[in-house]
Amino acid sequence: MSASEQAAAAPALARTARRKPRRMGGWDWTRWIFLTLLLIYATAPIVWMFLTSIKGQFAALQYPPEWIPKEPTLEHYIRLLSPQEETGREFLRYGLNSLWVSTATTVIGVVIAVPAAYAFSRFRFPGRKLLFYSVLVRNMFPAVVFLIPLFIMMRWLRLVNTSWSLILTYLTFGLPLSIWLLKGFYDNIPVQLEQAARIDGATRFQAFIRVVMPLSTPGIIATAIYSFILAWNEYVYALTFLNDKSKLTLPVGLERFFAQYTTNWPGLMAAAFVMSVPVVILFLILQKYFVRALTEGAVKS
Amino acid sequence: MATAIGETRPTARRGPGLAGRIYKHRTDYLYILPALIVMFVVIGYPVYYVVELSFFKTPPSLAMSEKIFVGVDNYSRILQAKSFHEVTMNTVVWTVFSTLFAFILGFGAALALDRAFFLRGPLRGALLIPFVISAVAGSFVWRWMYNSDIGVIGAFLVELGITDRPLNFLDNTQTVLASLIVVNVWREFPFAMIMMLAGLQTVPDELHRAAKMDGASVIQRFFHVTMPHLKSVTLITVLLLTVNNLNSFIIPWIMTGGGPANASDIWITAIYQLAFGRVRFGIASAYSVILFLVMMVLGYYYVRIMTRGDERRAE
Repeated sequence: MSASEQAAAAPALARTARRKPRRMGGWDWTRWIFLTLLLIYATAPIVWMFLTSIKGQFAALQYPPEWIPKEPTLEHYIRLLSPQEETGREFLRYGLNSLWVSTATTVIGVVIAVPAAYAFSRFRFPGRKLLFYSVLVRNMFPAVVFLIPLFIMMRWLRLVNTSWSLILTYLTFGLPLSIWLLKGFYDNIPVQLEQAARIDGATRFQAFIRVVMPLSTPGIIATAIYSFILAWNEYVYALTFLNDKSKLTLPVGLERFFAQYTTNWPGLMAAAFVMSVPVVILFLILQKYFVRALTEGAVKS
Repeated sequence: MATAIGETRPTARRGPGLAGRIYKHRTDYLYILPALIVMFVVIGYPVYYVVELSFFKTPPSLAMSEKIFVGVDNYSRILQAKSFHEVTMNTVVWTVFSTLFAFILGFGAALALDRAFFLRGPLRGALLIPFVISAVAGSFVWRWMYNSDIGVIGAFLVELGITDRPLNFLDNTQTVLASLIVVNVWREFPFAMIMMLAGLQTVPDELHRAAKMDGASVIQRFFHVTMPHLKSVTLITVLLLTVNNLNSFIIPWIMTGGGPANASDIWITAIYQLAFGRVRFGIASAYSVILFLVMMVLGYYYVRIMTRGDERRAE
């Protein structure tokens, strides 16, 4: 049964069951119970984050908790997003810092990664394997291994407390990951297309720019957004390299924001929610590409 | 096509020596040169430097010109410390159980979502959310839900009649690690799910139908048709989950900071605490190198599995 037929037949499971002799078997029940429980596990924290964020300070601290807020309020969101208030100014500044760092990391990373990934996919130069393996292995290194030497390096370069310290260090994970993902996309573009272009008189570089680049645009977009999300969510380096309150990014800013108003759980949940929404939406829209990007290589057989 | 696309391995083997081959491919290197420079600065040099530092005692002022060479002293001190054994036990428990449960839940979800049915797309999207959401936001909301006085999980268990008063999840050395593993699995099972879903799509339908006709049960088909096809994707998923878990920082750091009494301290949080809490960069570097060696072993297997198909492709 195709997906569309399935969708058409689905509005009422009961009806389907009545019309057809097939009934819900033991495996179907197992499947639905499992999926329902898993769905609750996956989404309950997000739901609770939202429900807390629309409660007043006092309502949030009651025991037993108000399961559904009796007097929902948007006060925390308004405070976070209004530039007139101190909190709002800070939150918006952290947001802008995050946006700048993530965008710069992504652009620099992708621009450098595109030709490298192409070369790894197509050319057979000596040392290719060794270099590519080091790219692969880098994906496994813990951030903390780089944290100590990079921290000392940033002090030498006098970059501590600047957004450039983050942009540079985010390349430690952004660049190898982009090279790896993009190589997967290039591997899937048939070599024959470039060969045809070469026969028509294009140079190797022209074939790359005119033939391969347009075809790999979806791959580049997926890679860019993936790298953006990683940078947007990054915490360890930002925690270590930034002290200056005006330079913080959202993940670390969130914590300061919380420490400052010790018991303001609804405010914190509102901030966490605002921070998460853009990324989740971006991801859900481009789900298809991410799933492909993430699983690339692992299922190639 | 002289240097690039059509080249086959035998030509390369019979061709000129290494220097000659490098010369012949010289323009190829232009493509990777920017990446190489950046990787050298932000990856190669730091790795070298952390190894170097691991043999030195560093001053708290971080003036590295005053560091003192101590040989393998840092290593022997770490390996003999009692706390190292506790932290290592925590790390093993954390890594093994997180990986195991994330894989089981993810694989279960993949099997449940493998066939097209009503709401499959939205359901998959919803299950992916914990994986995309910022780990910081996730850690804070779980910390709030685990709150010992007014947390929603404690209240829920009371409501169900399982306990008569809210449990103290995070301030109890007995429950803290398990509580954190629940959060970590929450974050990671979607990753296992998409990996395994992609793997399941490579299992040919005909095989299933043929096995069904031969009278194989669902369970028999699972073990004899599905599983053999998923060997390599299972290996990679488990390997990546293991690596990720060994490297986790955000969840334990934000939720407990390794406490209470180090009960949720794992390697990474211990290293961070040594370096940036107690400013002992030398010892922390030695600790990192130990972790790094464990990663290299895992990395070796990762590269082997990931590049298995590579030689046949695009040559």
